[in-house]
Amino acid sequence: MGMISAVLGRLSQAFLLLVAMSVIGFIGIHSVGNPVFNVVNIETATPEDIRGATIALGLDQPIWHQYVVFVDNVVRGNFGTSYIYHLPAFELLMSKLPATLELASIAMLIAAPLGTALGLVAGRRIGTLFDRTLLQASVSALSIPSFWLAMMLILVGALLTGWFPSGGRGTTAHLLGQDWSFLTANGLWHLVLPAMALAIPNIALIARLSRSGTIEVESLDFTRFCRAKGLSSRRILFRHTLPNISVPIVTIIGLQFGGMLAFAVVVESIFSWPGVGKLLIDSIQLLDRPVVMATLTFVAVAFVLLNALVDLFYAVLDPRVRLSS
Amino acid sequence: MKALILSALKKRRHGPALSAPRVLLATYILLAVAAPLIAPQNPYDPLQIYGWEASSPPGAAGGGGYLYLLGTDGLGRDIVSTILYGLRISLVVSITSSAAAALIGLTAGVSAAYFGKWVDVAIMRLVDLQLSLPTILVALIAIVTLGPGIDRIILALIIAQWATYARIARGVALSEVGKPYMDAARLMRLPTRRIIFRHLLPNSIAPAITLIPIEIGHAVALEATLSFLGLGVPIDKPSLGSAVANGFQYLLTGQYWISLFPGLALFGLIASINLVGEDVRRKLDPRNHAQ
Repeated sequence: MGMISAVLGRLSQAFLLLVAMSVIGFIGIHSVGNPVFNVVNIETATPEDIRGATIALGLDQPIWHQYVVFVDNVVRGNFGTSYIYHLPAFELLMSKLPATLELASIAMLIAAPLGTALGLVAGRRIGTLFDRTLLQASVSALSIPSFWLAMMLILVGALLTGWFPSGGRGTTAHLLGQDWSFLTANGLWHLVLPAMALAIPNIALIARLSRSGTIEVESLDFTRFCRAKGLSSRRILFRHTLPNISVPIVTIIGLQFGGMLAFAVVVESIFSWPGVGKLLIDSIQLLDRPVVMATLTFVAVAFVLLNALVDLFYAVLDPRVRLSS
Repeated sequence: MKALILSALKKRRHGPALSAPRVLLATYILLAVAAPLIAPQNPYDPLQIYGWEASSPPGAAGGGGYLYLLGTDGLGRDIVSTILYGLRISLVVSITSSAAAALIGLTAGVSAAYFGKWVDVAIMRLVDLQLSLPTILVALIAIVTLGPGIDRIILALIIAQWATYARIARGVALSEVGKPYMDAARLMRLPTRRIIFRHLLPNSIAPAITLIPIEIGHAVALEATLSFLGLGVPIDKPSLGSAVANGFQYLLTGQYWISLFPGLALFGLIASINLVGEDVRRKLDPRNHAQ
């Protein structure tokens, strides 16, 4: 029972957040200038044209009615038609989504195990050269802008050595009605650099988290008991320490996956990866307003929902949270 | 707060005053201030630029009677000068926006704590909403809504950063609101504005203020990212980020210097601000004063 109310509470919180965001978005759009002038030409329009366009856009309606129409359109994924591609904006967005999801998933598949392992080892040997190097490296990896990192990867990985291609998706293969790069060798080759650009800051973040968790858990009594029992350090590390630090790590993986959707904007534009992020930047530069609105709304909503899911998962995973509610 | 700063300064006398990051940061600031005096060329002045010398490699002799130490970019602008002038823009934009964000955030956070009730709920819900989204996403949404231009960039950075300060200041102010001197101020019937700005704010800002240097570092990175994406400062007055972006297309054809050198300058700037900022935060953090 407690569980269900916790779930409902968290979901209603996410819902309220989305309502707040829609109000802010609605105000934002209306404060940027009269949308009528997106439709008619300012210089040549007669007052009748303007009145006609105002009625056609529903701007003569009361403000609450306009808001309801706005929310209704957002919920139904109706953001209008792209000025450039002449496709419904939401459909266009969905066609670009697999590329972004592929990139983010591969990056997380690299970052999560690697970051956790590095953190475990460093936490085990505090103060050693390895530990100090990892700490320093993670600080710099987290403080440099992602576009700089991506550029250096291109410079070193593509231009100086010629090992990897500098952009594009490469050959794709068809699966479940979508094109995927990871199914072909050439596509995988193209994935390496952009995935690394997305993964490196996350490796640093996860490694720091898993390091501090390991230090905390290793000082607890039960670890001492395990050691006294004669268990090998490897067994202690993987069977006892790892499960105990897994909750915050899973949380951060979930949250960072949402963050990757946002950071993909930078990485995708640099590597010409045809995903949601590149679509957003291209559309901003081409003043393709419906697509910009659709993309930003989608990323923000996806992020809020992902946050809520992570919180719920947290409750399921951690016995203390589960039992206390 | 004053005592904190004084004791931090006193402590500093015993520690190493000249660490590498501090020297680097001081050099950056000096270079930015002195840019018009030491830059061989004014990259904003079309008359000083020789278009036919575009994309000259580092060390080439220029028509203006000076060497292009780090080469020229695709428009013929000297890279050294572009870096020096870009540094000014990056620093001005990030320092202005961080200062304004701190001012707005602190005032909002302290007001939320002082007024409570619906003011608190309204401000903190907005703060929660913003902090739950990645900063880059908030900045992107802001810049898309606001449009291009340096003033808009500063505004977008303020919007992206104020919430952090608000949350911290509110936490501290909540514990201050109940203290006797606040009751005294209210009993004296001081105007609300005076109570907030002269009594509550100065006593609640210490932890948040230590954040400012680090936030300036974030602002430099954020501005550079926006400019790199073509959403930042205009291309004829490049910041470090847009200087890197200008050179990016040339990077792929082997003219590495246009992008690489501004990129290295940017990296050094962000690294030195972050290291000095961490240092300042550690020194000013009351929890570290016991030692």
